[in-house]
Amino acid sequence: MKLYRIWGLTLRYLFLFRHSLDRISDAFFWPTVDIILWGMTSSFFAKNLEGGGNTLILGLLGGIVLWIFPWRSQYEIAVNLLEDLWNRNLVNIFVSPVKFIEWVTALLFLGVGKAVISFTYASLLIYFLYSANILSVGLVLVPWAVLLIMFGWVFGLLVAGIIMRYDTKIQTLAWTSIYVVAPFATVYYPVNSLPAWAQSIAHFVPASYVFEAMRSAVGGSPPPLSDLIWPTLLCLVYFALAIAMIYRSFNHILKRGLISVD
Amino acid sequence: MAILEVKDLKKTFGKNPVIKGISFDMEEGEILGILGPNGAGKTTTLQMLLGVLTPTSGSVNVFGKELMPNKTEILEKMNFSSTYTDLPWRITVSENLTWTSWLYNIVDRKQRLEKIKSIFRLEKLWHQSFGSLSAGQRTRVNLARSMINFPKILLLDEPTASLDPEVAAYMREFFADQRTKFNTSIILTSHNMAEVEELCDRVIILKDGLIVGADSPANLAKKMEFSHLRLRITKNASELDKLITLRHLAHIQEKNNYTITIKESLLPLFLYEVTKKNINYTEISIDKPTLEDYFLKVARSKSEAL
Repeated sequence: MKLYRIWGLTLRYLFLFRHSLDRISDAFFWPTVDIILWGMTSSFFAKNLEGGGNTLILGLLGGIVLWIFPWRSQYEIAVNLLEDLWNRNLVNIFVSPVKFIEWVTALLFLGVGKAVISFTYASLLIYFLYSANILSVGLVLVPWAVLLIMFGWVFGLLVAGIIMRYDTKIQTLAWTSIYVVAPFATVYYPVNSLPAWAQSIAHFVPASYVFEAMRSAVGGSPPPLSDLIWPTLLCLVYFALAIAMIYRSFNHILKRGLISVD
Repeated sequence: MAILEVKDLKKTFGKNPVIKGISFDMEEGEILGILGPNGAGKTTTLQMLLGVLTPTSGSVNVFGKELMPNKTEILEKMNFSSTYTDLPWRITVSENLTWTSWLYNIVDRKQRLEKIKSIFRLEKLWHQSFGSLSAGQRTRVNLARSMINFPKILLLDEPTASLDPEVAAYMREFFADQRTKFNTSIILTSHNMAEVEELCDRVIILKDGLIVGADSPANLAKKMEFSHLRLRITKNASELDKLITLRHLAHIQEKNNYTITIKESLLPLFLYEVTKKNINYTEISIDKPTLEDYFLKVARSKSEAL
């Protein structure tokens, strides 16, 4: 892997952000909408609770803020691939010495960059609007963020692989696919509130462990870090499978020829 | 020494064989044309030479090395431009050339970009978004992108298709110059026969996935036996009609203008007979066979591999 080539690919997407109001605004628009909507909702419920209102607000808003990590990292991979397909640019990339893994790496890191920007913005917003401080959970936020970003990568790679294989006619997946797993990620409610069959699925969704841990932490009893071993292993397995899947899809489109891919 | 060697290359899409086993090579500093009717397999061949399409079988060796296992090293010294590809539309010409320049190991990146800007006359387009350019301007930017690493082998898929005649001529001069100065090898596909005759040392004609002709443009044209004799008749046109019938010659007549298709070897005798029969004409021209004539003959005939 050569860093200058990864930088070249990253530059291509950064230049695009500079010229695309839609790509800049989406990093801020949806977090703002979610935070205002759910912040008001949780404030309403909190007023009617006898004690624990602040925990409810921080639990809900913390869920929204942390959900940015998987959402943005998935979204950036899939939408940046779509940009290359819409612009018939994939062939320009791969007639150069760029390796497949360098291209994937650039997409992954762009997702991290955008996720961190959106997360910072959303954290500040909940602090100023609702006096909710997600950073109060401490350094444990770092492993949570890493795990959630990796979970987003898994989805991003899967969706990118599917779009590559079946063309842009299924491009809606780029914006919507991660919401399929959101109910089982238990962003806003505890796992034990789910029906039994959904709990079984949630056990295989690494993000659900992070949101459970976050709720425990804001409730004053942070779980030990060792609770993250199982979801980390799950994530690594999913990530390896997703890499294998997108690599297969890439080889599949090489059989069709990159010029004819759109 | 061959800089590129293709052996028994085949490509099948589903059950449809598009390239049916082609072999050719290219010397360093050579300009090789690939011609063929639409769907003959030209773009498919170029894609396989660049490693962006997996062949069904056969081999491609570049700089003495097998392409696929050494793709990164080989593509550092190759590049490609096509009228069928675009660059990202929303970003500027300058930004497009900047990010693509980072894909290559270029030491003097800033100077290189300035040089490319000047060679391809991009000064006025430099800060315009790629999507706002005309088709011809986009082609020019694509060509500029393909020269960003000053490649040793350049593959051009209909490079001048949407350029105006002046810019197209400038580009042809530029590519010829690259060969002369830097020994750059170029593979060119085009439907512009005059361009191919002007630029190419050798031409391969593809039809239905097979190579049906391969030689220099002049030698291919010589394979055509027939010339076109054009006469404007002022007297004794009926005698000319009789002569044409007698010699079983194909011809087109528009009023007094005759275009007669005749074997080059019979031309002197035919003109002697015209004079002898007192057929007067005010204008005469003889069109020697061209690469286009050969191409048309091949395109209309049944495919047979060389």
